[in-house]
Amino acid sequence: MQIEFQTQRLSMRFFMLMLVLFVLQVGYGLLLSLQQTDPTVLAGVMNFNVARAEHLNLGILWILCGFIGAILFVGPLLAKREMVAPWLIKLLFYAVIVIAVWNFFTLRLAQFGIAGWWQGQPWLQQGLEYLEAGRIAGVLVLIGFAILAYVVLRTFPPVRQWNEIHWGLGLGVSALMAVWVFGLFYVARLDLQEYFRWFVVHYWVEGVWEVIHITLVGFLLVLMFKVDVKSVGFAVFWGVMLVWLSGLIGNAHHYFWIGTPEFWQFWGSLFSALEPLPLVFCFWHIYLDAHVNKRPLENAPAFYFILGSVVLEQIGAGILGFTMTFALTNVWSHGTWVTPGHAHLALFGTFGMLGIAAAYYAVPLLRKVPNYDQRLGKLGFWLVLTGVLGMAFSFAIGGTVQIYVYRILGLDWFGGDVARAMGVFKLMLPLFGTVFAVGAGVLAYDLLTLGRRVAVPAGTDAHGEAATAHATTRWSRPLSGFEAGIWLMLMWIFGTIITLGLLSFNLPRVRVEGDPTLPYLLAGVGYPGLLLVTLLFVWRFLASMEARANAVAAPSLLRVLPAQA
Amino acid sequence: MSCGTGGSSCETPRRRGAFVVLAILALIFVVLSIFSFLKSRNQVTPDTVSFGPYQAADGKRVFQAYNCMGCHTMVGNGAYLGPDLTQEYKHAGPAWLAAFLPSAGGWPTTAAVRAQLLDPNQQADGGTDSIEAYLKKFPGAAERIERRGGGTTMMPNLPLTKDEIGQLIAYLKYTSAMNTEGWPPKVEVQGFDRRVQLAHGVIATAEAAPAPAAPTAAAPATVDPVAHGAQLVKDNGCVACHATDDKKLVGPGWGGLYNSTVKLSDGSTVIADDAYLRESIRQPNAKIVAGYPTGVMPAYETLLKDDEVNAIVAYLHSLEKQ
Ligand code: HEM
Ligand code: HEM
Ligand SMILES: [Fe+2]
Repeated sequence: MQIEFQTQRLSMRFFMLMLVLFVLQVGYGLLLSLQQTDPTVLAGVMNFNVARAEHLNLGILWILCGFIGAILFVGPLLAKREMVAPWLIKLLFYAVIVIAVWNFFTLRLAQFGIAGWWQGQPWLQQGLEYLEAGRIAGVLVLIGFAILAYVVLRTFPPVRQWNEIHWGLGLGVSALMAVWVFGLFYVARLDLQEYFRWFVVHYWVEGVWEVIHITLVGFLLVLMFKVDVKSVGFAVFWGVMLVWLSGLIGNAHHYFWIGTPEFWQFWGSLFSALEPLPLVFCFWHIYLDAHVNKRPLENAPAFYFILGSVVLEQIGAGILGFTMTFALTNVWSHGTWVTPGHAHLALFGTFGMLGIAAAYYAVPLLRKVPNYDQRLGKLGFWLVLTGVLGMAFSFAIGGTVQIYVYRILGLDWFGGDVARAMGVFKLMLPLFGTVFAVGAGVLAYDLLTLGRRVAVPAGTDAHGEAATAHATTRWSRPLSGFEAGIWLMLMWIFGTIITLGLLSFNLPRVRVEGDPTLPYLLAGVGYPGLLLVTLLFVWRFLASMEARANAVAAPSLLRVLPAQA
Repeated sequence: MSCGTGGSSCETPRRRGAFVVLAILALIFVVLSIFSFLKSRNQVTPDTVSFGPYQAADGKRVFQAYNCMGCHTMVGNGAYLGPDLTQEYKHAGPAWLAAFLPSAGGWPTTAAVRAQLLDPNQQADGGTDSIEAYLKKFPGAAERIERRGGGTTMMPNLPLTKDEIGQLIAYLKYTSAMNTEGWPPKVEVQGFDRRVQLAHGVIATAEAAPAPAAPTAAAPATVDPVAHGAQLVKDNGCVACHATDDKKLVGPGWGGLYNSTVKLSDGSTVIADDAYLRESIRQPNAKIVAGYPTGVMPAYETLLKDDEVNAIVAYLHSLEKQ
């Protein structure tokens, strides 16, 4: 495939910025995990809350950069013309850098208790999880979203000609901005503040980002596998619709204990339990779409990350989210390390991996090296995948111990009993974090220097030797729909075990007598089982893809299918 | 003829139907939201809660300005480094908080909490000026003192002012009073020792806690006054706010203070002799060092005997500037 539109090249800078911010963010994550094992690390210099604010803030920023990059890359293809106002996009790029640097300085002010109050608003930083940045940065971000929405909507053809992919992206970028507004007001009541804070956090990840995700995955599959746009359109429409039908009231799973009435426990448990439906739907579609034709996997890392994104969305968001989404399980998991287990798998897995996938798809084309050396990309994928699965495991099991010691036994302080009991898992976190960080470094290095390193000599297999080696084994035979269904079922069986484990904290045997055997046993089977099945399934899926006839000859493989065929 | 994937005549009505259902769900959500914040819900609001002259509404701003949520959870949301703060006031009470917050790096002792009870705001809020009654009313404070009193915490010292501390206490009073529908869940396992044993497999109380601040008044007269003073400043929680070198913490550092010239907030200067030091312990507000606000340090007039004050002064003599 050739780059048809010059403005597609604008995506490059956002991908590069994404990688830089990603590496920085992971650095903060490692620091946090060290401070969790020893809170005196950098105490007074960079307190845990400041490092955490940076970690979350950069996490959101780099994921948004990935989205913007991907949208800029596919936008002209969808519109069949150049993006309008490229200067605005360049401005947006610098604005993101300014915001990141500004936040680096202002978030530190929490150490001195400076929020920058003026006119009743905190202008410099506001100390709310995920919305740590102050009003100045908030308004800048709003302007950034407005630029993005303007550029995308103006570039698209008239609404009458939109297909589902246009709708998905068009609504996605508009809603991105609309939802952000709810985070731009100081609220004096704690319950009302939390109520609106989740408008931003929940409706972003489970309303808007999932919509952008479904749409982009759909279109990337169109590009990579020449899938029929119509069938992808069908999947995109119903995927988006299911997200909203379940997620709209599903927001109530954040309203159980913040001071809002009890009736939310019913509505939240019921509707958010349906939130995995669109994810199962999307999972199934990637299976179907990746198997419509038997063409070999041309750009392996790009597909690896798309698959990773959809699978981790399934288990990280869908299954781990499901386990703690009922009032009866959430009452225990809430406010413990069980939550970041879900958060890391869902946020990095779903959205982080999508951005990296888009970068792996676009960068070789933009740099005109379609036949690039893919080994580093694959290595990076396996490192971040095992790293993030391991981190989720440490968080989740550590959190289970935390529930027992903190909530069931009521032993209070982190310096005393709780941290001591969680010790092993607190130590495991930086270990897996290191694996993850190495993977992140490999990916960033690979993508930053791709096409600038020594090229693969003509005639060599860009996939490395492994691809041909396992071509005939049983492990790499074609993956049938039946088998994919079995894998999915296995994941949900382990998910059910985890859910029962959280539920079992309610049993008098655990709650009154203090016997942790059952929840520990169920968590000890459920989490490792789920994560191992995931690892094996990804391996199995990719092996079957790699085993396809490895004819890397034709340049025709990466051709774009017109959006409105 | 059937409604298969895409293209069939059933697809359009189906999609319309989905939008109708979505609109109904949105309506339900809006109605539930309105009911959540009606007066009839009887949820406390910050404008109705105060601690002495301090308002909970101001405390919320302080809480956000220091990004407390970046280490702690509040109603379960936030970070998981420190404990949940929703019911901290209910468990530990205002005097324990007032003793803890100025120098969060150390756990308050009984004496430090007792010193706070001299404050009329504390007496009004806690309903007592006796430490025994206070600890009975707030068993969480007793438990904290017993297990950790005098030890170091994992929390960094924050540059909180006296007003900010009062406001934070008011805010925590507000969150403690909130109806959070039964969260955090009540602990139903009985017996403290049993719970510790279940957590660690051994009874860890003795090992985890430094000896509780036993009253040392009965110390034999033969004891070296400097050592006695050193013990007293620990027991009374003085070192939570004062450094033994010349660093400024919440209050001025002690190193090299004796016989040095001190600049006061009214512009005058004094020599830090024995009389000055004794007065500064008994009536700290009589003379305030330049750069410090009034009323931060409790008056130890009624808390320390004369020979104890003298022992502390003797101890101060021994500290050198570093
Ligand atoms: C890709 C989609 C998702 C992402 C990125 C995501 C992300 C997150 C994050 C970051 C948190 C942590 C919030 C905090 O720090 O307190 C969270 C909490 C939570 N999520 Fe998700 N989530 C996703 C999907 C889901 C789904 C589909 C469900 C339900 C089936 C779900 C259920 C929950 C629940 C119950 C909580 C915990 C609320 C609490 O106890 O505070 N999530 N999610
Ligand atoms: C080496 C990699 C990483 C490590 C070691 C790490 C570690 C941590 C730690 C220790 C926390 C604080 C949990 C607490 O409050 O106790 C945290 C929070 C968080 N991190 Fe990471 N992290 C890493 C990568 C990432 C990535 C790549 C993302 C997403 C793009 C991410 C998103 C988050 C989020 C959303 C939270 C808040 C979770 C919650 O409150 O439930 N992290 N991380
Ligand atoms: Fe949510």
